[in-house]
Amino acid sequence: MPEVILKNLPFLLMGLRLTAEIAFVSIIGGTVLGVLVGVVRYFRVPVLAQVADIYIIFVRGTPLLVVLFICYFGFPTLLGYQARAYYAAVLGFILFIAAYLAEDIRAGLRTVRPGLVQAALATGLARAQVIRLVVLPIALRNVIPTFFNQYVRLFKFTSVASVIGVNELTGSAMLVNGREFAPIPIIGFIALTYLVCCFVISMVGRLLYSRLAVRA
Amino acid sequence: MTEEPMIILDKVSKSYGPTVVLRDCTISIKRGEVVVICGPSGSGKSTLIKCINGLEPYQSGSIRVEGVEVGARTTNLPALRTRIGMVFQHFELYPHMSALDNIILAQVHALKRERDEAETRARKLLDRVGLSQRADARPANLSGGQQQRVAIARALALDPKAMLFDEPTSALDPEMISEVLDVMVELAGEGMTMLVVTHEMGFARSVADRIVFMDRGEIVEETPTDQFFSAPKSQRAQEFLSKVLAH
Repeated sequence: MPEVILKNLPFLLMGLRLTAEIAFVSIIGGTVLGVLVGVVRYFRVPVLAQVADIYIIFVRGTPLLVVLFICYFGFPTLLGYQARAYYAAVLGFILFIAAYLAEDIRAGLRTVRPGLVQAALATGLARAQVIRLVVLPIALRNVIPTFFNQYVRLFKFTSVASVIGVNELTGSAMLVNGREFAPIPIIGFIALTYLVCCFVISMVGRLLYSRLAVRA
Repeated sequence: MTEEPMIILDKVSKSYGPTVVLRDCTISIKRGEVVVICGPSGSGKSTLIKCINGLEPYQSGSIRVEGVEVGARTTNLPALRTRIGMVFQHFELYPHMSALDNIILAQVHALKRERDEAETRARKLLDRVGLSQRADARPANLSGGQQQRVAIARALALDPKAMLFDEPTSALDPEMISEVLDVMVELAGEGMTMLVVTHEMGFARSVADRIVFMDRGEIVEETPTDQFFSAPKSQRAQEFLSKVLAH
């Protein structure tokens, strides 16, 4: 490993830790929000479904960086609070990824046959129970590949947080480069690190899918 | 005094836009009776029995199950449905659960039974349908006949007062039909009230008290079983029987 990397490794690893943390929190938060939004849209819950539609159109038509700017500069100014880059970034990633996951879960919900819903209703389960116990578990299993695809995208997108001053992996690498000016090894190092992490995430997705997939 | 029939359908009609699916269907089923509904495909048989547990809405007429009006807005449909078991043509088992969990789910979540009790009952029922060895199998790893027997167990787990069967053997390979019919014959022998949509005329002949013949959304005739097979009243039933009994 080049000396410039070895020397700065503790600092870069702190950046990696932050990247992993942001990605993890955003994936969990984004999945919860995305599934909620997807369900609300799929079942056309009045008012909420319309709000969800507008939200999705907005996020899907806006660059990620702009979404982060809105969370970092926009919301704090409008609502009058002090923004912190880390929280603004996490909020932005959650809002961003959830919009895509909401579309994916809708496709997953369509894979559940209406007959299955009828059969579950026929056993006396209430509609909300049928969704929670039968429809969502099946839909979620079927969307594991697309969801993990989005998780991989999100992991790479976390690098954009460096623009609003979060020193995650890319941000800390840029700081190191500013001091050392050795772009080839430094950028090579973080590129490789992202690659390995993304590979691990997609392997986890494949493993989960091979264990949990169902024929609905 | 005669007992009021358990299920009463009175002039039930349903249409999708201009298409009439059910027209003035009237039948009543007494406790312990086995009634087979037959007729050409598209005649509204499945729709009719799905109206009985409120899976299909109907526009006019009345359906009462143990005195409860199915179509009334105040009717607690989930509670009503726990008292009427239903078995579907395509089994409709939950693919992400074991056979055992399929039978446990509604016991715990609809009837609020303790999980232990629900599991004990589920195992007993699996044993009864001859599948105690397959408790942990997923539906995908069961044959069609086995899946349908699990589906029957799932319905029976709620101790229903009546059972609806919607073409329970139509999606099965021929060699698996009898294992499902055996369970149904046994159930009929125990006095279960049953309404069965089927093309299995052998089953109808041996267990049904009455045959209801439907065509184009109408109940064309309702005849005691022996008479239906020897001398059906209507021309349409005669034609239907000559086709299904031809071989």
